[in-house]
Amino acid sequence: MTGREVVELIKKNSGVTWNEQSFRDTFKAGNPDSQVKGIASTMMTTFDVLKRANEAGLNMVISHEDTYWNDRDDTKDLTNNPLYKAKTEYILKNDMIVWRNHDGLHAMKPDFTVLASLRAVGIKAGDEAVMNAPVYTIPETTLGEFAAQVKRLTGARAFRCVGDPKAKISRILLGPGYATPRMRADVDVVIGGEQQEADGGFDNVEYVMDAASLGMAKGVIMLGHVMSEQPGMEHFATWLKGFVHDVPIRFIPNEEPFW
Amino acid sequence: MRRSHISRRQFALIAGSAGAAPFLLSGAEPLTAEGVIRRIQTELGGEWGSAGPDGFKAGDTSTVVKGIATTAMATLDVLKQAARANANLVLTYEPTFYGRSDGAPSATGRGPGGPGADDPVVKAKREFIAKNGLVVFRLRDHWQARKANEMVAALAESLGWSKYRLRSDDALYDIPAATAEAAVNAIRGRLNLRAGLRAVGDRRATVRRVLLYPGVMPLATMWQRYSEADLVVTGEVREWESTFYAADIFTAGGKRSLVTVGRVVSEEPGMRMCADWLKAVVPLPAGWIGAGDPYWRPV
Repeated sequence: MTGREVVELIKKNSGVTWNEQSFRDTFKAGNPDSQVKGIASTMMTTFDVLKRANEAGLNMVISHEDTYWNDRDDTKDLTNNPLYKAKTEYILKNDMIVWRNHDGLHAMKPDFTVLASLRAVGIKAGDEAVMNAPVYTIPETTLGEFAAQVKRLTGARAFRCVGDPKAKISRILLGPGYATPRMRADVDVVIGGEQQEADGGFDNVEYVMDAASLGMAKGVIMLGHVMSEQPGMEHFATWLKGFVHDVPIRFIPNEEPFW
Repeated sequence: MRRSHISRRQFALIAGSAGAAPFLLSGAEPLTAEGVIRRIQTELGGEWGSAGPDGFKAGDTSTVVKGIATTAMATLDVLKQAARANANLVLTYEPTFYGRSDGAPSATGRGPGGPGADDPVVKAKREFIAKNGLVVFRLRDHWQARKANEMVAALAESLGWSKYRLRSDDALYDIPAATAEAAVNAIRGRLNLRAGLRAVGDRRATVRRVLLYPGVMPLATMWQRYSEADLVVTGEVREWESTFYAADIFTAGGKRSLVTVGRVVSEEPGMRMCADWLKAVVPLPAGWIGAGDPYWRPV
């Protein structure tokens, strides 16, 4: 089976009308017509993941995020960059294939990144878990208790919280990755991956700081981009095993990059 | 989470300057917010059109100014401290009303805007501003453009590194050798950080050369300059871009680190410097109020 054939099977089984114009869901490096020996599902094609996949005999990497540190995987400014060269040479030398599955994955019902991220923070979610997910109500607790539970369940070290830890909360809205939702009236806690801290479309951080200053029960939990979407790629690997039987498939988690 | 130890220190800063500076020049007309801003605009120069983020965001511009507070971000807590310190003109580097549009509909009528005027937090903040006679002005682009690298110099001063600067026209510093971990711990202490600080790279490598980049470091700068320094200190980056570039450099054996301290925190020293500068521009008490590290994490 070639990389291209694997991708065709994914499109066929996704249940979505695949957007062939997406600049994200394309082959990023390697020869798509190379034979696939094994598939690594991962969140981000880091150099570390490439090495671990290769050492495990998995030469096709399917990642949710980019390979060359920008959304378009634009490499025109990187042609003389030693890291770009080393990473690309590693991929080619080991006959690896990198394909990104971002827009297609987010279009699926459920969206694995949302479903698995909700479950990872202790919320029982089902097929309704898609982008612009519904608000989930949990038994009332404090923001501090809930944040501690999320930290325990996800193992995320570097996540960040804003708001009064003593605030009583129960209504949770989650958006993965860079799709951190805006705080709104019917929500107590927003959970996201990352978001520009200020001067954006809607600055959750300052909004929640001010809400806390007014005694309103509001909180933001930033899991970090990888930690917020990574569980979805484990889910994806399981799903892929349902129709790709000829080669080994493994989820290779990214290490949380922060100390 | 209260940060009263910071508040008291900053309150004292304003109160102290209020005692030292004359309230008004004798015989002079009282200075209104509009008058103060006109002096600032004249002093800073440049074009002050309606485009761009700088401008009045709340309050009556004809208000007589009793004192000026500068801040990286005019949070409600900052405004409360300003009101207590009798500083009724607040100059903020970042937005007041939760987004670049700062409460105004976007120019094109499309795209993401901040919360509307009927939002309860927006309403309460506007009421607080009105009730206390405050005026809020955003001073970002023109302050940043004033003199190359002044935000950098201010951050270096806060870190105790002023004397280590290599060239006045660049942001590189050669600090006394330390492990990346020790340097990062020193930064955490100096800037009074909680969970806002995050570091990636080789924590055991020796750091001497540091690049300071307050605010948001663009990806192009990361690509071009990361290899010039042992440690890059910035406010924020896009995690899925620059953070993973640093992680990949580490995997490839690079002995460097990237530390993000938070966008607002990294801009605070520059706005403290702005308060000092103001004292020579307008005969009014001026002081800086820190918004603080917004983030915490459970232990």
